[in-house]
Amino acid sequence: MARETLERPRFRHVGRPVDRIDATAKVTGQTVYGDDLRLPRLLHVKLVHAPVAHARIRRIGASKALAVPGVEAVLTAADLPPHRTNPDARAQVLLASDEVLFYGQPVAAVLARDPYTAAYARDLVEVEYEELPAVVDPLEAMRDDAPLARTGAIRDADRSEEQGHITVEAQQEQAQSHPSNVSSSITFRRGDVEAGFAEADAVVEGTWRSSMVHQSYIEPHVIIADYDASGELSIWSSTQAPFHVRHEVARTLGLPEARVRVTATEVGGGFGGKIYLYEPLVAALAMAVRRPVKLTMSRREDMLAATPAPQAVVQLKAGMKADGTLVALQARVIYDAGAFPGAPVLPGCLLIGGSYKCPNLDIQGFEVLTNKVSVGALRAPGAPHVAFALESAMDMLAQRLELDPLEVRLKNAVEKGDPLPSGQPYPAIGLKECLEAIARTDIWRERRRIRQHPHRGVGLAVGGWLGGLQPASATVGLNADGTINVTVGAADITGTNTSFAQIAAEELNLPLEMVSVVTGDTRTAPYAGMSAGSKTTYTVGRAVKLAAEDARQQILAIASQRLEVPAEELEMQDGVVRARGQPEKQVTFRELGRLTTGFGARYAPIVGRGAITARRQAPGFTAQVAEVEVDPDTGQVTVLRYAVAQDVGFAINPKSVEGQMQGGAAQGLGIALFEEMVYDEKGRLLNPNLLDYRLPTARDVPPIEAIIVEVPSEEGPYGARIVGEPSIVPGPAAVANAVADAVGARVFEAPLTPERVLRALGKLRD
Amino acid sequence: MRPFAHFAPRSLDEALDIFRREGEGGRPLAGGTDLVVQLKEGGHKFPYPRYLVSLRRLPELRALGWHEEQGLRLGAGLTMAEVASNDWVRQRYPALADGAGLVGSRQTMNMATVGGNVCNAAPSADTAPPLLALEAQARIVGPQGERLLPLEEFWLGPGETVLRHGELLTEFLLPPPLPRSASLYRRHTPRQQMDIAVVGVAVAVALDDGGRTLKKVRIALGAVAPTPIRARRAEAALEGQAPSPEAIARAAAIAQEEARPISDVRGSAALRRHLVGVMTERLLREAIERARRG
Ligand SMILES: Cc1cc2nc3c(=O)[nH]c(=O)nc-3n(C[C@H](O)[C@H](O)[C@H](O)COP(=O)(O)OP(=O)(O)OC[C@H]3O[C@@H](n4cnc5c(N)ncnc54)[C@H](O)[C@@H]3O)c2cc1C
Repeated sequence: MARETLERPRFRHVGRPVDRIDATAKVTGQTVYGDDLRLPRLLHVKLVHAPVAHARIRRIGASKALAVPGVEAVLTAADLPPHRTNPDARAQVLLASDEVLFYGQPVAAVLARDPYTAAYARDLVEVEYEELPAVVDPLEAMRDDAPLARTGAIRDADRSEEQGHITVEAQQEQAQSHPSNVSSSITFRRGDVEAGFAEADAVVEGTWRSSMVHQSYIEPHVIIADYDASGELSIWSSTQAPFHVRHEVARTLGLPEARVRVTATEVGGGFGGKIYLYEPLVAALAMAVRRPVKLTMSRREDMLAATPAPQAVVQLKAGMKADGTLVALQARVIYDAGAFPGAPVLPGCLLIGGSYKCPNLDIQGFEVLTNKVSVGALRAPGAPHVAFALESAMDMLAQRLELDPLEVRLKNAVEKGDPLPSGQPYPAIGLKECLEAIARTDIWRERRRIRQHPHRGVGLAVGGWLGGLQPASATVGLNADGTINVTVGAADITGTNTSFAQIAAEELNLPLEMVSVVTGDTRTAPYAGMSAGSKTTYTVGRAVKLAAEDARQQILAIASQRLEVPAEELEMQDGVVRARGQPEKQVTFRELGRLTTGFGARYAPIVGRGAITARRQAPGFTAQVAEVEVDPDTGQVTVLRYAVAQDVGFAINPKSVEGQMQGGAAQGLGIALFEEMVYDEKGRLLNPNLLDYRLPTARDVPPIEAIIVEVPSEEGPYGARIVGEPSIVPGPAAVANAVADAVGARVFEAPLTPERVLRALGKLRD
Repeated sequence: MRPFAHFAPRSLDEALDIFRREGEGGRPLAGGTDLVVQLKEGGHKFPYPRYLVSLRRLPELRALGWHEEQGLRLGAGLTMAEVASNDWVRQRYPALADGAGLVGSRQTMNMATVGGNVCNAAPSADTAPPLLALEAQARIVGPQGERLLPLEEFWLGPGETVLRHGELLTEFLLPPPLPRSASLYRRHTPRQQMDIAVVGVAVAVALDDGGRTLKKVRIALGAVAPTPIRARRAEAALEGQAPSPEAIARAAAIAQEEARPISDVRGSAALRRHLVGVMTERLLREAIERARRG
């Protein structure tokens, strides 16, 4: 692990690599996940998934399923308790009631005493469909004569998931007046793009396609809901966003949020795909049958009917002057949202025009509806798609002008103060520093020698993410024995609770072992936004720091009274408060714990409170380099070495930061080379399994060198900025650039399968 | 998955008795790595079984013996791990060791059997091309007694074999390899492991005594036809010839013509046909080189 740091004060805990607190339980299989939970009288639900992409439901016959011993109920949309439905929001269409909009959409729910009986009976539910024409391809769907993916225009799109990941101000236009599959569009213009192209010495253009991919968390969705006799609704969900689930479930089912308790169970991987989806449905089922209900999706069900990441088509034209100055970018960015709006058009447009300084921009983004499963977030949603186009074009321009691709990027890279396409200026960012770090890697320095091999090459790409913003809060309490409890409301999906322990231990100058962090449920924990948009440490970390500082002040105030020494003259170390220069004047945390919790205690308990609102983003950029070998006869691409440099502001736990960088890069390689959900012309998913949907295996991913770059953010704790998402972004572009470097063929479609590489090489005849 | 009965007999006779007694609707269960997945997810070509008969305790399916004249006896119930690590197989039938050593992960290899791989009758089965190229015969035992069949005649189509109800594949017989011979199996998959062959090619070659001409050539192809197939015209074009690069390229081109691939989610017909040429040529060269070295 390498680290590029500007300047660094000495810290005791933050900035030092520590193992995740929960690591041992996880690797020994002891961690309790949602599916491990049991409740008395629990019913298991299996959903009936539509076997057609677009249809009208004529009739649902449940008698055969109900006859199976152990089946308690078969419910359709008509049987659910009254609730708010919004035909434009996926999670608020609990079950399809009339029109089926995608292959795999749930149309009925079978509840039984065990999941096997439920699955068996599910196959006996008889549904009559009247098939309607399905639109599958987003470009086809945009044509004027295309069949409509749904009846009725979009009025009330749900963009909360996107906003959780990226919070920026920009106006998205809702659907137009005449019926169309384009559900929203957005335009950014700056300067005069035609004049820019006229001024350019090289202009390149192309159409880049990215496939629909799945988050492929190890643990499919698991939700349990229980509505008790007193009207309290409890939900256990492997969600990244417990407070968001509470809000949405309460709103949908018409319950006060105070009566809804959401517990985020250990998340077995989310990557943006576990915000909220089936919680309102499972809660409605539990309310309907007045018994606890559990939904554990199988891999197949999850691949059919969760929320994967969109397919995209990016048409890009870019112009550059002979000296490497980028002068014009024109892009049409099309995201296929699937059957409900919610595609990441906004971030895609901001990033394609906001990664380099460019005086002339013309960027149009479209969100298109098709009869495929609706999409959700996946780590930097929308960003890899545009980086694939932009970063390929940068290499093509550099090649045409015989310039060094790294120098060209350095020359144009955005810096503090440069505007996004929306006009909003960047705060301090570290894109240039990342490029400089990559320039020093072995792969980059050895590229001329590597290229002498006839089939090897090196490719570079950059990418970034702006990050989400939500308020956060935390409490820090002193226990009777002097240990410390930190309580937060954020689901720990990346090791954030370990970082929070480091922060609290730092502020209170304690050994790490004296601090314990817990994620409470929504009835007990202080509010936090969703663990998405790379913002958990950036926002909740700040709240923890404030709460620890608050607890520290409370402790010092009591100690000052006890020791009769002014608080400013006290120091705190390893659970002891003493007067500076008077070591005999001291009081321990243990004594203070008793003084604030015991029978007839003199002082009120110590509860540090931290609450913040985050209004300023701390975008994260990364530069990555790949060395590949291409078999020119089979089209197989092997990644031999890979390096990632990422600006994280300040690495509170370098170990987990490095893990995020490597994990995201590995996912980037997966979408670069293997991952693709394949639909047929009728909109049926052909590979709903992990055999034919290929994730990279350990042997497909080389060792990934992680170089931590630290350009402090303006607001984050100790200068930390967003970390989780950027690392996935450059993968497809870096690999495509390396393949072009190796064998001279440019591939415009990800994943770069052997077939696509062979076609680019002109070696396949039909 | 639906309810079914499960029997675990301890001998071949007992197993055959169960099929006779219970009647139609039964299915043999070996490692279960195909069958159990199919019962859970669908995709089986036969009606949902009423009962399963486990083959795991049948000693008769675990034969493993080498004889100078008769060759190798290989029980259908041996696991991929056992086959891939067996010295006779590795030294005398390396193509089979290659194929068995590719199946899934360690865990898969510890459960999956060669018999199950062949009886599941996937065109992509990784031990099928090696067994074809090595001219394996299959011993089938059933209510009507026993028969020995060249493996090529065993498959009828995807998921379909000549086996009738109550019949079991008990073992394979592989003739001893000729002197100065070599065999190889390779598959093309996008991933390095845990993948299904887009194309699989096995070759077995033997040189004449002087090492100048090819005495025998066997080429078998997987995943490019409804069943694993031999590329007989390509074989014939090479046998008796000097192994020149031109002759090898010509044979590979003929093998391409013999392939009858389809397009599916794993690859287009064009890709498969292309790969048959590339891989056949590469494998023939490598096998001839190995046969030369002895
Ligand atoms: C994760 C995973 C990875 C895999 N990877 C590969 C791979 O790389 N290459 C590959 O080729 N396959 C692969 N497979 C498929 C499977 O593992 C193999 O085909 C395996 O050899 C099947 O053997 P089995 O003993 O498990 O058969 P089973 O599943 O028990 O049986 C398969 C079929 O054959 C019948 N049968 C079994 N034995 C006999 C017998 N002796 N007589 C008559 N009928 C019989 C059964 O009734 C059933 O229809 C994979 C499977 C999994 C789950």
